[in-house]
Amino acid sequence: MKTIIEPFRIKSIEPIRMTTREQREAILRAAGFNLFLVRADDVIIDLLTDSGTGAMSSEQWAGIMRGDESYAGAASFYRFQARIQELTGFEHILPTHQGRASERILFELIGGPGKVIPNNAHFDTTRANIEHSGATAVDLPIAEAADPGCRHPFKGNMNVEALERLIAEVGRERIPLVIVTVTNNSGGGQPVSLENLRAVRSVCDRYELPLFLDACRFAENAYFIKQREPSQAGRSVREIVLEMFSLADGATNSAKKDGLANIGGMLLLRDACLLQRASNLLILTEGFITYGGLAGRDLEAMAQGFEEVVDEDYLAYRIRSVEYVGERLTEADIPIVQPPGGHAIYIDAAALCPHIPREQFPGQAVVCDLYRMGGVRAVEIGSVMFGKAGSAGMDRRDDGSPARLELVRLAMPRRVYTQSHMDYVVEVCAALGNRRGQLRGLRMVYEPPVLRHFTARFEEE
Amino acid sequence: MQRRSWAEPFKIKMVEHLRMTTRADRERAIAEAGCNTFLLRSEDVYIDLLTDSGTSAMSDHQWAGMMQGDEAYAGSANFYHLESAVREFYGYQHVIPTHQGRGAEHILSQLCIRRGDFVPGNMYFTTTKVHQELAGGQFVDVIVDQAHDPGAEYAFKGNVDLDKLTRLVERVGAARIPYLSLHATVNMAGGQPISMANARDVARLCRRHGIKVFLDATRAVENCYFIKQREPEYADKSLAEILRELCSYTDGCTMSGKKDCLVNIGGFLAVNDDELADAAQNMVVIYEGLHTYGGLAGRDMEAMAIGIRESVQYDHMHARIGQVQYLGEMIVREGVPVVRPVGGHGIFLDARRFLPHIPREQFPAQALAAALYVDSGVRAMERGAVSAGRDPATGRNHYPRLELLRLAIPRRVYTQAHMDVTAESVIALYQQRDRIVGLKFTYEPKHLRFFRARFAPVEGDKVLGD
Repeated sequence: MKTIIEPFRIKSIEPIRMTTREQREAILRAAGFNLFLVRADDVIIDLLTDSGTGAMSSEQWAGIMRGDESYAGAASFYRFQARIQELTGFEHILPTHQGRASERILFELIGGPGKVIPNNAHFDTTRANIEHSGATAVDLPIAEAADPGCRHPFKGNMNVEALERLIAEVGRERIPLVIVTVTNNSGGGQPVSLENLRAVRSVCDRYELPLFLDACRFAENAYFIKQREPSQAGRSVREIVLEMFSLADGATNSAKKDGLANIGGMLLLRDACLLQRASNLLILTEGFITYGGLAGRDLEAMAQGFEEVVDEDYLAYRIRSVEYVGERLTEADIPIVQPPGGHAIYIDAAALCPHIPREQFPGQAVVCDLYRMGGVRAVEIGSVMFGKAGSAGMDRRDDGSPARLELVRLAMPRRVYTQSHMDYVVEVCAALGNRRGQLRGLRMVYEPPVLRHFTARFEEE
Repeated sequence: MQRRSWAEPFKIKMVEHLRMTTRADRERAIAEAGCNTFLLRSEDVYIDLLTDSGTSAMSDHQWAGMMQGDEAYAGSANFYHLESAVREFYGYQHVIPTHQGRGAEHILSQLCIRRGDFVPGNMYFTTTKVHQELAGGQFVDVIVDQAHDPGAEYAFKGNVDLDKLTRLVERVGAARIPYLSLHATVNMAGGQPISMANARDVARLCRRHGIKVFLDATRAVENCYFIKQREPEYADKSLAEILRELCSYTDGCTMSGKKDCLVNIGGFLAVNDDELADAAQNMVVIYEGLHTYGGLAGRDMEAMAIGIRESVQYDHMHARIGQVQYLGEMIVREGVPVVRPVGGHGIFLDARRFLPHIPREQFPAQALAAALYVDSGVRAMERGAVSAGRDPATGRNHYPRLELLRLAIPRRVYTQAHMDVTAESVIALYQQRDRIVGLKFTYEPKHLRFFRARFAPVEGDKVLGD
């Protein structure tokens, strides 16, 4: 059989409320042309994020019912710990309420003024946390990542020579650790090869620097390695996952992606001294070390989710369904970042709407029109999110000039939408493509001091 | 017929099995846990009275709400349900959800406290105090003196001493006091309530000096039950009316939903001031999550919204406090020293009078916790010198006047028979108290040491002799 079907059937559904174009026009204006400020109830297909929006399995719901809510030493924690130890090989596992809490604890301990932290590409909250500590976040992607049309199989790779240059330039003592984000979210959900990870590891070994993974989408990355890295085709995803983690000294993780959970995260560490300090900070800001600010039931859902995500039938379905949308959009002449990533399609808004200058946020204009035309909620990943000092920045310029890529991300929640939902999304995109000349730029009329994309407000030009 | 006993206004819909253990099992478990009940595995515990926080049983309505979780990242329908429940019952305008209470404390402390500020409050609480100190402030205790005397029978031992507060204002000036932290009920004093009259007076005094008042509303509904019982003019008012009035004397609240709101996870910060709300929404994104989910799953916001409505039902609160009083009366009847009167969420055994033969340097409350576990598998929490920690300047142990063992009662979880077992064990221990041995540290963490410290008996290898 050539068709890849979902390796599951539906057990519980959530009704979708339909809206008219007139209603959506009014909603859009009331929300200041920022889709983060639209009520979920007013959205037909919600592709804002793949974070925490997945559908849990019946086994996970059974875990939810089984949650042990004891404050200390809950059985749910020990089940969770054993599963993660087996999956990653890490001994020390701290649960947190979600990924950004893991990052905050880590960077509060090892960041600080004068420090420099390289990454293949930092994501928005990661960069915000690093900069909040006073450190500098540096992105070191390979050159191919900058070209949306280039079909490099591992566009998420870190530029290893650039890493060595950075170390030579600033000195190893100012670099507390090196981070590799798998898959690379701000670069289009692109994978990092095992070969690249090994190369980064050996640079880290040479300079005695710790290597950390931002491991939100580790399973999707491992599946790409199996598919695209010839030497890895014969290994199981589980083996590849284990090797990826074995190359690292620690990892931050949001379980809301590949943990197939609606809430939760973790911090994995090898260093016993760092563990002690992280545990103290965890207790103060998150919760006791055996619950980390989560309900016991959420630890159960994570334990089961991390098991289900390395199932290769699931991953084949997951990656193929994203790729399917990419193929259909390409047929409809919508320019997207190639090849499609693991968790999302990234529309190249600058190429789609060349008549809108970058100062008028072409990505945001596309996001607004997707909602107006079809009630589809996407997110801008360009000059609004990364454009200016004081906000998060993939390619932030100190002079406030726009980011390099103007993208619109259609993030796919896991196991939530069917192929017919995706066909509808493709239709909405195609309709937008046909009226692209009518799209208007936007001007920002309210700008919050940090992470401005969440609460900024706009007016149409 | 006159009703003499209270009964639960619910029946049981789902159960969770308990594992029975032998005394030998428990001796092994407590030794492995370094005589610290925090380090016991919950499956080795029979009746878990470590905390009433997040350990409650949800109702079938709340579980139904769990299935209606809207897990959208932005604008989840559950957020709007929560917001409207908080507005309706607590009366605050702006609601910022957080993953639990300490997330709200963190944000409030960071936004309001500047280096060198003083934050008065009716007795300290562990995590609240640390957040205030991290923000550069210093906590000042302004609770009435009776709160520090476990034997004093006084209806509102949680009250603020207005003279102490006035003296603080005169000493440091109102400009150095960003807000007063008003706890209702006061956990560290034994779950003791404040009176409405006191809340009103505090608000008047603070407003005159331009000092804000933030309520720690964690157990405010339990406090309102005591106001209804003990303050005559409120006898005929509903809990919901009393709660609205109490909150009206304050400028906002931090909330751990894991207590009154009957949920396993969740909290919020609620304020009336528009600018403070705006700043809090910008900050919550960094630490917790976008301001319409605050680091919670949508389903957990729904469960909290429903829990708030259930928490102000008189029948619920009558049974809740009634159960705590029932356990307290059994223990008091046998002469066991406890904090009087019995508070809202637990029984606080007075370890200094319970174990006069154990000097304070040997942590009598910690020893009592370990012995209680060995005797019956009941897990309780030390609230005394171990919790109070050391003076950061001198490095010496703090010895607060209260050296207590807290038996916190989870809501809607345990039956009367469980309470009977607990009372029997406490009474049996009291009758053979000479067999309990003091403890010494074998590992002592720097911050919040009570969570992860390890101990050993000062002599022999058993904390409870045969």
